[in-house]
Amino acid sequence: MITAGIDVGIAYTKAVVLKDGKVAGKACGLSGGAKRPANVQAIYDKALAEAGVKAADVEKVFATGKGKFDVSFADDRLTEVVTATQAAKLTTPKVTTVIDAGADEIVVGVVEGEKINEFVLNQKCAAGLGLFLESMAERFDMTVEELGALDGPLSVTVNEGCVVFAELDALSLANRGTDLKEIGKALNEACAWRASMTINDIYKQNKDCVVIMGGLVKNGAFLKALERIAGVKFVVPEEPVYAGAIGAASLAAAS
Amino acid sequence: MAKGQKWETRPLDFWNKAKELRAGWQKSIESKEKVVGQGNTFDLSFDWQAAFPAVTVIEDNPVGSMMQNKNEPYARKARLASEVRGWGREICGYQGNCWGAQFLGYIDDGTAWPDRKFVIPMPCVCDQHAKRGQQARDFENMPQWMADRLIYFGEYDEEREKPMLEHKVYCNYRIINDMERIFGQQFDEEECAKLMAGSKEVREYSREISYLMARTIPSPLSVKDLYSVYTIGGLTKIDPDATVQFWRMVRDEVKWRAENQIAAVGNEQFRFIEAHPPSWHYMKYYRYLEQYGAICLGSEYSHGAGSNYEVRPDGSIGLRVDKTYPDDMEMTTREDIIRVGSGALARPAGGFKTNEYIYRDRIVQFAQFMQADGALLAIWRHGVGCTLTRKEQAMYLRDAGLNVIHYEGSQPGDRTDLDEKRLLDQLDTWMESQGLRKVTE
Repeated sequence: MITAGIDVGIAYTKAVVLKDGKVAGKACGLSGGAKRPANVQAIYDKALAEAGVKAADVEKVFATGKGKFDVSFADDRLTEVVTATQAAKLTTPKVTTVIDAGADEIVVGVVEGEKINEFVLNQKCAAGLGLFLESMAERFDMTVEELGALDGPLSVTVNEGCVVFAELDALSLANRGTDLKEIGKALNEACAWRASMTINDIYKQNKDCVVIMGGLVKNGAFLKALERIAGVKFVVPEEPVYAGAIGAASLAAAS
Repeated sequence: MAKGQKWETRPLDFWNKAKELRAGWQKSIESKEKVVGQGNTFDLSFDWQAAFPAVTVIEDNPVGSMMQNKNEPYARKARLASEVRGWGREICGYQGNCWGAQFLGYIDDGTAWPDRKFVIPMPCVCDQHAKRGQQARDFENMPQWMADRLIYFGEYDEEREKPMLEHKVYCNYRIINDMERIFGQQFDEEECAKLMAGSKEVREYSREISYLMARTIPSPLSVKDLYSVYTIGGLTKIDPDATVQFWRMVRDEVKWRAENQIAAVGNEQFRFIEAHPPSWHYMKYYRYLEQYGAICLGSEYSHGAGSNYEVRPDGSIGLRVDKTYPDDMEMTTREDIIRVGSGALARPAGGFKTNEYIYRDRIVQFAQFMQADGALLAIWRHGVGCTLTRKEQAMYLRDAGLNVIHYEGSQPGDRTDLDEKRLLDQLDTWMESQGLRKVTE
């Protein structure tokens, strides 16, 4: 059986083609603003090409992510927490908590058997952490990966309650001649603190097996800091960025 | 209830009658012949103002709420006018709108702000209601009265109640006498006694409606429907006889629907409660959630501020039975009438602010009364229905087995912080995480 999942995030769109439960093709690209439907189509076509199948061969396409309604050809659309949980269960059946940390949103869900017992989305003030880190990397003339490698003891700090204030702090430090790498460390740390607040908002926590996925996982320093602050050892699936799309494709196969 | 079960549903017959009554009220407040007052009613359990034939009271909560609902740019302008006068951004949005209108000198349709002749803010022990009256009073140079709200923590205490009840009667008595003296209006005692009887009847209907909503599956009425008629006879002041007739009509219809399993939401699968007045400017979320078979049964606020039901010592839940005066109590003097109208309890019914755990305990009882599966709790930035104890309530509701989510907004009279798209996304996630899907997709 061939199914597809498309995760249209605020920053990136991820498409996956599943053939008998295995990833046969995948593609990722910028979601784009007004051109989002066209970009989604192009990314999906790329995933199909990699899988060596045609659109007509795909039995069902499920979409997820903030831009899921831009996938006009989707057979169904699901919210992120549902697809993330499905993806986590595929690789880690014992999962107790799922975290999807993306460009715009952090969602935490507590899994109990087949049910999502409780979920929390970040507060509005904690939105856009992923986008923020990406834009700061660009501003400091670094790649996202370079920023994500900046780890270690802090010599400076930035505001951890609001990314607007954090940016002001960072620019102010830069203007005073602080080493950009030191500021980068502080930015990763501040975002980890903000993300940990969403995890702590869960009332009935179960940190036995916490699976984390989403684009922010690519930032190693952030992830390490979040593990330390939240007191959790994360399980990172093989394809953390594509997890939402894999979950959607898997649910399409099961439907 | 069985997942996916469908029940018969049909439009409400009282809907058109409610529209007609609301239109009548609108017409009456536009009349220039009356002495118009502003504020919430004082501490009498009936609509006292109707005993002054030439007095009309316009409640500022619904006026402020309507400003936000009807004209967003105007409401923003009004709140800014309040801010530049020194009032904080975090005051109640209803008041920010109403005071702003006073400062601007015109209302949302561009016509002049109608001068008030007096103001009576709602009695309340520890919040901003007194300030509401003060601002209006100082700005328009008019008299202000305010009854004292009396409370004490703990169980009913007869000894404490006695002097407090006397004080409550005194406050109400003084307001009526002062109004007679200042405005030269005669308070009609006979009419007042009639009003009290009518109010008692309406209260009984209201309790019965709450009970039917709570204990019947599928619920015959959603809070969305209830809110459409909720203010009739109270904030929307109409003829007292028409009020009684209307609420009898509502009760009869709700009862008939309950007996015949006529559902408010035909695919009812999930019952949820709230903990606050809703975003009056954005009630779309009720209908949105109905697509998932989720019905909102309201909050303590929508059921007589929690006074419509009670948890009895044996743990059973039923309609509240209040301590009342005997039905045949003589009412020969004005004081007798005011005494009966003030009620037999000094503290407000429903236990409002009577014990330190009231918020967490009461909401769990309310959820049980309503047979709720979940709770949607707003985190307002400030103002009316503020977030005091909201997170704590969620903890206790979760322990009681409810699925709870929070959403961020400003408050019912100020939509500044409400992110519509985000709220709807959260609601989708809430429903889907429990395996529910939209039926109309």
